[in-house]
Amino acid sequence: MSPTSSVTIESFLKGILCLAVAMLVLLFPGLSGTQSNAASCLKIGLPEDPRTLNIWLASDRNSRNILSQIYQPLYTRDPDTLKLVPWLAEQEPVFDAETLSYTVRIKPSKWSDGSELTSEDVAFTGRVIKDFRVPRLASRWNFIKRIETPDKHTVRFYLKEPKAIFLSRTLTTPIVQKKEWIKIVEKARGTEKPLIKLLNHKIEKPVGSGPFILKEWRQGCYLFLQKNKYFFGTGRRISGRILGPYIDSIIFKIYGTSDAAILALKKGSIDMFWWRIQAGYLQDLKTQKDIQIFSNEKSGLYYIGFNVRKPPFNDVNLRRAVATLIDKDFIISRILQGLAIKMNSIVPPGNQFWYCPEVPRYAEGLNREERIKKAYEILRKAGYTWQLPPVNGQGKVVKGKGIRLPNGQPMEKFTILTPPADYDPLRAMAGMIIQEWLGMVGIPASAKPMAIGSLIQQVKGRRQFDSFILGYGRLDIDPDWVRNFFHSSNDKPRGWNMSGYKNPDFDRIAEESASILDREKRRKLIWEMQKMILQDVPYIPLYNPRLIEAVRKDKFSGWVGTLGGIGNIWSFCEVRLN
Amino acid sequence: MELWIYTSRRLVQIVIIFFVILTVLFLLFRLAPGDPVSRMVDPNLTPEDAQLLIEELGLDQPVWIQYFYYLKNFLTGHFGFSFHYGRPVVQIIGDRLPNTILLFTTSIILSALVGIFLGKIASWHKGEKTDTCLTVGALVTHTVFLPWLALIMIWVFAYKLGWFPITGMISEEVWLDPDAGLWPKSVDILHHMVLPLTTLFLIHFGSYLLIMRTSMLETLREDYILTARAKGLPEKVIRNHHAAPNAALPVVTSVGLSLAFSINGGALTETVFTWPGIGRELVFSVSHNDYPLAQASFLLIAAVVLVSNLVVDILYAYLDPRIRY
Repeated sequence: MSPTSSVTIESFLKGILCLAVAMLVLLFPGLSGTQSNAASCLKIGLPEDPRTLNIWLASDRNSRNILSQIYQPLYTRDPDTLKLVPWLAEQEPVFDAETLSYTVRIKPSKWSDGSELTSEDVAFTGRVIKDFRVPRLASRWNFIKRIETPDKHTVRFYLKEPKAIFLSRTLTTPIVQKKEWIKIVEKARGTEKPLIKLLNHKIEKPVGSGPFILKEWRQGCYLFLQKNKYFFGTGRRISGRILGPYIDSIIFKIYGTSDAAILALKKGSIDMFWWRIQAGYLQDLKTQKDIQIFSNEKSGLYYIGFNVRKPPFNDVNLRRAVATLIDKDFIISRILQGLAIKMNSIVPPGNQFWYCPEVPRYAEGLNREERIKKAYEILRKAGYTWQLPPVNGQGKVVKGKGIRLPNGQPMEKFTILTPPADYDPLRAMAGMIIQEWLGMVGIPASAKPMAIGSLIQQVKGRRQFDSFILGYGRLDIDPDWVRNFFHSSNDKPRGWNMSGYKNPDFDRIAEESASILDREKRRKLIWEMQKMILQDVPYIPLYNPRLIEAVRKDKFSGWVGTLGGIGNIWSFCEVRLN
Repeated sequence: MELWIYTSRRLVQIVIIFFVILTVLFLLFRLAPGDPVSRMVDPNLTPEDAQLLIEELGLDQPVWIQYFYYLKNFLTGHFGFSFHYGRPVVQIIGDRLPNTILLFTTSIILSALVGIFLGKIASWHKGEKTDTCLTVGALVTHTVFLPWLALIMIWVFAYKLGWFPITGMISEEVWLDPDAGLWPKSVDILHHMVLPLTTLFLIHFGSYLLIMRTSMLETLREDYILTARAKGLPEKVIRNHHAAPNAALPVVTSVGLSLAFSINGGALTETVFTWPGIGRELVFSVSHNDYPLAQASFLLIAAVVLVSNLVVDILYAYLDPRIRY
């Protein structure tokens, strides 16, 4: 039995070995295909495919990243000052107070198919958004009464009422080509569900006015973008920068995991990974001589929010006591490993113009014991009682028990909803730590990780919750969202006032802030709103994670860092071969 | 009972089961919390615009009306548009499915062939070193955590040794080259397949080996093997021609079902190796409440599994008439 079998095993193993060798010879790198000879081809790793190239449907980050190279707005933000600068527009818009209109002159520019970009394209874009009520964009345009095009390079917008976001939001909308879209739009108009018809239209080769055009998209593998020879910015000085692009093409390669993308970056298969680098990879990347790390602030807000419609969080004193107990420095240093910025206000400090540094702060610089004593004082004065107070007769801190509300009722256990650890371990961990801190004063909190879809449904749809930890990673630089988040009219299902905060004074100032056109005066109002929120604390801002990005510096340089990282239009117009 | 009566009965049963699956799938996704619009966490999306989107997607209709349209669409072969991609789900599945089938079917066939062969060897050498090595090896590789093994494979063979691409299915250098013909492109795909295929092979061949080994040991105790030995047949002939074909039957059944299930891919494998298959889309569609895509994907899996079962049942009924009664 054995000799026969040994021969068989031997032949089998030999066969396997031969097969393996044959495969290696056949498939060895270098033999399997031509190597890229496009020296100035920038290779960028993406974590996922863009979902769509239809600009009206694109809501995911990867689609927007790709489309931001193709479709361009009239104005964009200077990377250093964050002020609006003319992009497709020739100069600052001219305001006519009498007719409540803005006139914008457009630079002589062309679409990627060589045709001229005119005021008709701008007006068409606005009309499509308004008529179809395109999600996410309609709110920027619904106050426009009409759009006129006196000549090919002039467009005039008439407003129904003064709107502060006109400049910062309406005029930063990407412009589409009328020629490309007119037939699609007309066809959609005649259908029963025009919006869905428009959103579901497949765009394969978008015609844009940006620095790059899409040449090929192999789904799940890569996107190949080439320099747009008609790009209006080439050789032009905008915001003190002479624009390129200085590279011939960009290849976006898809990497399903950060692990694979980081290895590809280290190996030189890609020049940049367009995604946040997690803390765990940082030390390793710092030791790589060809890797450059960028750390920028995000326009983000991570916070704990309360349901102020019902007990116990309808009491501002309890909310202030919680704000006193939360040690943001601890969360940042221990959970986020220092890779975040402490948020004192709800507007991130990197948004320099709108950030209010004078908001009320809670327990700044206090240690744990002092925080507990201060929170105890706030609650005691508000009428809360304990079976066992957290500060005993000798003034020593002990574990509090049996807290009762000012009306004498025992405080029932409440939940802090957090995203699950597989979605965001940092927020899940922050929830657990906050639960412990509240427990020290006898406040019966329980952190409950919940699938993100359920969490949003619970908080934004059903409004059945006590408190929650959520975050936004890409807030607009214009802080109109502060009004959105806390105006009482938005306390409705799917509305953004998730806490149910109601303050007539806040509403009045918020409304004024939405319609005032003077930037300085508006800043005062926005600051006032921030102070009110931090006074009433329907949200306690916690932190804003820093955006860590990594690139290879051996081949390309010229990355432009700004609020929101290096993945911006300025970088792609400035990056060049070393 | 005639074979055709048996087949007709099974066919009716399968249609009923499929209808139940169709209904359960619809209800399951509607019972899941949230909807496609609630995941759009963008402060620029006003409640009114969100409502318009819900209406246009037909999600404001009572559930029974949605169910009616769902059935109607299914019967007319229209699976709808993905909420997130804005493309027909048939197109999305059509794009991704061949990639999944290529990788997973190849890995299952390869694993089964090697598993059967090595299982046969192991059982023949029961209690010897060969058997111990093969059995322990099979157990180890079969129980290894797949993403860990996949990452180790990438780290060693792609990053350190540089023999294979780190991930993906194709190289842009080859596919963007206008002169590249079918051969370099095919070789390029094979080159990218080596690591995921090896990983899946290492994970799967062990189970086939163990099934084959057990089955073979049972078969070797059968009377007809004793008879074959008594007839003086060579050991090799007894093993390869008398024992192995019968012992391989359970493995073949297992392979058949694995092949049917292979169309759902493996979200983990596809994610780690960035293999553009259907597995990742399944996970995405479920987590983002993309009902049309999720429903169509699961229906496809259900249909393939049911048809495979039917084929196996008919084959068994043909081979063993007792089953029909």
